[in-house]
Amino acid sequence: MFLQLQQIKKSFGKGDNRVEVLKGIDLAVEKGEFCVLLGPSGSGKSTLLNILGGIDRADSGDILIGGERMADMNEKALTLYRRRHLGYIFQMYNLIPNLTVRENIEVGAYLSRRALDVDELLHVLGLWEHRSKLPNQLSGGQQQRTSIGRAIVKNPDILLCDEPTGALDYKTGKEILTLIETVNQKYGNTVIMVTHNDAIRLMADRVVKLRDGQIRSNTLNASKVSARDLEW
Amino acid sequence: MKSPLNKRLLRELRSEMGKYAVIAILLVATIGFVSGFLVADFSMIAAYNEGFEKYHIEDGHFRVESALNRAQAKALTAAGVTLYDLHYREASLKNGSTLRIYPNRTQVNTVCLMQGALPAAATEIAIDRMYADNNSLTIGDTLTAASGESWTVTGFVALPDYSCLFSDNSDAMFDAVKFGVAVMAPDGYAALQEPQTWNYAWVYDTKPGSEAEQKDAAEDFMKVVNKAVSLQDFVPAYENQAITFTGEDMGSDRSMMIALLYIIIVIMAFVFAVTTVNTIAKESSVIGTLRALGYTRGELVRHYMAMPVLVTLISAAVGNLLGYTFLKDICAGMYYGSYSLPTYETRWNADAFWMTTAVPVALMIFINWFVLARTLRLPPLQFLRHDLSRRSGRKRALPLPKLLPFFTRFRIRVILQNLGSYAVLFIGILFANLLLSFGLMLPDALNHYSETIADNMLCSTQTLLQIPYSAMNEDKKLNALVSMMLFRMETETDENHAEPFSAYTLQTLSAQEGGIANSESVMLYGVEPDSRYVALPGNGIYISAAYAEKYRVAAGDTVTLREKYEDTQYSLSVDGVYDYMGAIAIFMPRETLNQIFDLGTGYYGGYFSDAPLTEIDEKYIGSVIDYDALTKISRQLTVSMGSMMGLVNGFAIMIFVVVVYLLGKMVIEKNAQSISMAKILGYNGGEIARLYLLSTTAVVLLCLAVSLPIEVYIMQLLFRAIILESMTGWISLWVSPTLYPRMMAAGIISYAAVAILEYRRIRRVPMDEALKNVE
Repeated sequence: MFLQLQQIKKSFGKGDNRVEVLKGIDLAVEKGEFCVLLGPSGSGKSTLLNILGGIDRADSGDILIGGERMADMNEKALTLYRRRHLGYIFQMYNLIPNLTVRENIEVGAYLSRRALDVDELLHVLGLWEHRSKLPNQLSGGQQQRTSIGRAIVKNPDILLCDEPTGALDYKTGKEILTLIETVNQKYGNTVIMVTHNDAIRLMADRVVKLRDGQIRSNTLNASKVSARDLEW
Repeated sequence: MKSPLNKRLLRELRSEMGKYAVIAILLVATIGFVSGFLVADFSMIAAYNEGFEKYHIEDGHFRVESALNRAQAKALTAAGVTLYDLHYREASLKNGSTLRIYPNRTQVNTVCLMQGALPAAATEIAIDRMYADNNSLTIGDTLTAASGESWTVTGFVALPDYSCLFSDNSDAMFDAVKFGVAVMAPDGYAALQEPQTWNYAWVYDTKPGSEAEQKDAAEDFMKVVNKAVSLQDFVPAYENQAITFTGEDMGSDRSMMIALLYIIIVIMAFVFAVTTVNTIAKESSVIGTLRALGYTRGELVRHYMAMPVLVTLISAAVGNLLGYTFLKDICAGMYYGSYSLPTYETRWNADAFWMTTAVPVALMIFINWFVLARTLRLPPLQFLRHDLSRRSGRKRALPLPKLLPFFTRFRIRVILQNLGSYAVLFIGILFANLLLSFGLMLPDALNHYSETIADNMLCSTQTLLQIPYSAMNEDKKLNALVSMMLFRMETETDENHAEPFSAYTLQTLSAQEGGIANSESVMLYGVEPDSRYVALPGNGIYISAAYAEKYRVAAGDTVTLREKYEDTQYSLSVDGVYDYMGAIAIFMPRETLNQIFDLGTGYYGGYFSDAPLTEIDEKYIGSVIDYDALTKISRQLTVSMGSMMGLVNGFAIMIFVVVVYLLGKMVIEKNAQSISMAKILGYNGGEIARLYLLSTTAVVLLCLAVSLPIEVYIMQLLFRAIILESMTGWISLWVSPTLYPRMMAAGIISYAAVAILEYRRIRRVPMDEALKNVE
């Protein structure tokens, strides 16, 4: 297995205010797999993604990525791990306002020794015409495409997506999902996507349903539906 | 691949031009001025030091009653010196000043022509450049003596033996306003009506090296001179204040200027750091994302530090360029305003470059690194959540009483939100006002000194008698006795209520000897029992109020003084303080003084009188202390530092405006979304300004009010330290009752200008700001 989570636990607060967000998560994901973490608000899916991304720490449990044990990593090593292996896409685009589309993507390329060709990626993302625009000249969908470009240009082993369509309308949301699907197929990155949109599970290889900090189901899709054909 | 984040820098510079421009202007002005000062200082010191050889400066001079005859000259030169005529005549001018006129010099203390031409005709004269400046004289002007003679000024000169215009070596301060030197062509000089003073300069055939050797050589030569002639005055070059004072004083401001530079850089570094922390807060999600993508903390710290360092580097480069060209001349002008120095050549000064470029950049890097590394230490998740608080758990709002009106509570919240920025604002205002207080208080203190001295003089004229050197010649005891008798007879007078007093001069102990300042002369007065002029409360020993204040001595203390060139020390128990601010002096009954110093019963060394004494021959008068002499210090300081005070005040206001502008701007930018939302809710521009602008206004007023007493306290410490370090005598720091109102007014007017800009900024915040994506 490329990615293995064993008994991941996490809680917030102290004493009476203590809330257990993850209550012993076990999960394994294959390399190149498209995994969707589904669940309502407060189910712990974003916390799990943050722990996977090395921007939050589990209270206990083990995470193994490509044989490396995350618990052994100090802050410096975690940064290096993120730099080498991870791409992140958030619901908010978090683009740098005074850099152009191309430059925002280069911000990601700078971090990688095996970065993808930026021009080619701009074409794949459908941003070639907009490459010299600043974020405030773009629509929400174009901004999210740019943030996907920034994450994917590193050619990361794992692409972590936290509600990437949460702030987008139906049509744009579908475009973004199509793009992530294309990226997954073209570059072979493992994709882990957090969403509360039940329809998205249809395009995944693996669907993990979370509720109340626990995995309620972990299933493999026998037949996937293309993002283009999703309806919600 | 270079970091693509670097591409932000130029765009950031363009979009925040106002902010960076004001910081850069302040840095360029500071660095440029200090760089110019250091270059001018270095070049001037080099010119001064090289002047000794270039202008063939004397090793000393002595004054005699009449011209040396051949035998006397031969006897003196046999001691291993070359003698040069350095005679002069002193003319009292109609403008109230005294001009010491020499025939043009070609062998020793040669003349540096600064402007115009040397005199050729008998009615032409070249005068000291600084004396000309201080008396607004230009080439072509006519000088008229009280005797009626008049001369045309053909040029301005610097005489190397008068780089500092001390008319008398015993003076506490030089006087470039009422005393000047000049040269004339030999014919013109010979035609002068004023009596000639027979003055000779000497130069050793073999130069003594160390200070001790110089002293030994001078003492040996004085014995030879004293044996051959009747001496009136004997001044070796190392003791001649007109030659040495400039060299000792130059360079003393250097550390103050460098400290000023570094304080301003530190303040600006903190202003930069605070504004950058604000930018980090604004870009919190971007930073969180970048950290999540794998950007290291170091990369981000370097990125956010780049702009302060870049602005400092550019400012340092421009500042140094200005320093080496334009500002250097202004700074040299300040020296030329105090000293009569020869022309100088600009010297490259590596120290100045390092101190005004490398050190400011290093300070900027260190302070920004310290603040930013701390801010960026937070985990990426906290940035993504816009939670930049270092405390764990959610920050709770400080409970405010509901009794307070809503607007007041709102303003308090704004102040609490910006406490860090306001702390930097306070430091900035404190420093700016410290400079301003210096600029306002020094002229006040000097004016007050001049005014109070007039009411506080012992008498209108103190005449100090000078025993002829012939009366002290131990090798010719009979002659000495006759001279002394003659001196006694010819100096007895009772004109203008003249009252004799005995006088003795001792030195305070230097810091090396256990004192608190440089060694200086203390005049000990022995006064008549029922003196008309000095009414001592008893028969004990009383120190002047100036002495008590400078050395912090009170009744019951003991003061220790020593002989000038000897190790003999005297410890005197102080019985009280006599209200006299004109000099560092000690008063006691005449008999007591004569007894302590074994001067003999009936000895006296001078007269107090209501008017100048005219009956005593001038050759027996050592010096006259009148109002002009007592206010020489304040007059000269006013002239030499007056022009600088305007500059200091301007600089102080500039720092104040820059700091208030930047931090006020930051408070508004930080709250742009809330301001926008308030506009959407229907608050008008005035109401919003009352919420956000009045918070800063209240803080600025509070900072001004709180900082004023602190500044006065610091100024008192600084002023005391400066006076102790740099001058003899004492001027107390007088705080004018109008100081606080003036400083408050300067602060409020400067702030009003900034507030108008900030008000316009608030009005320009668009309503859609609140609807934008936070990032």
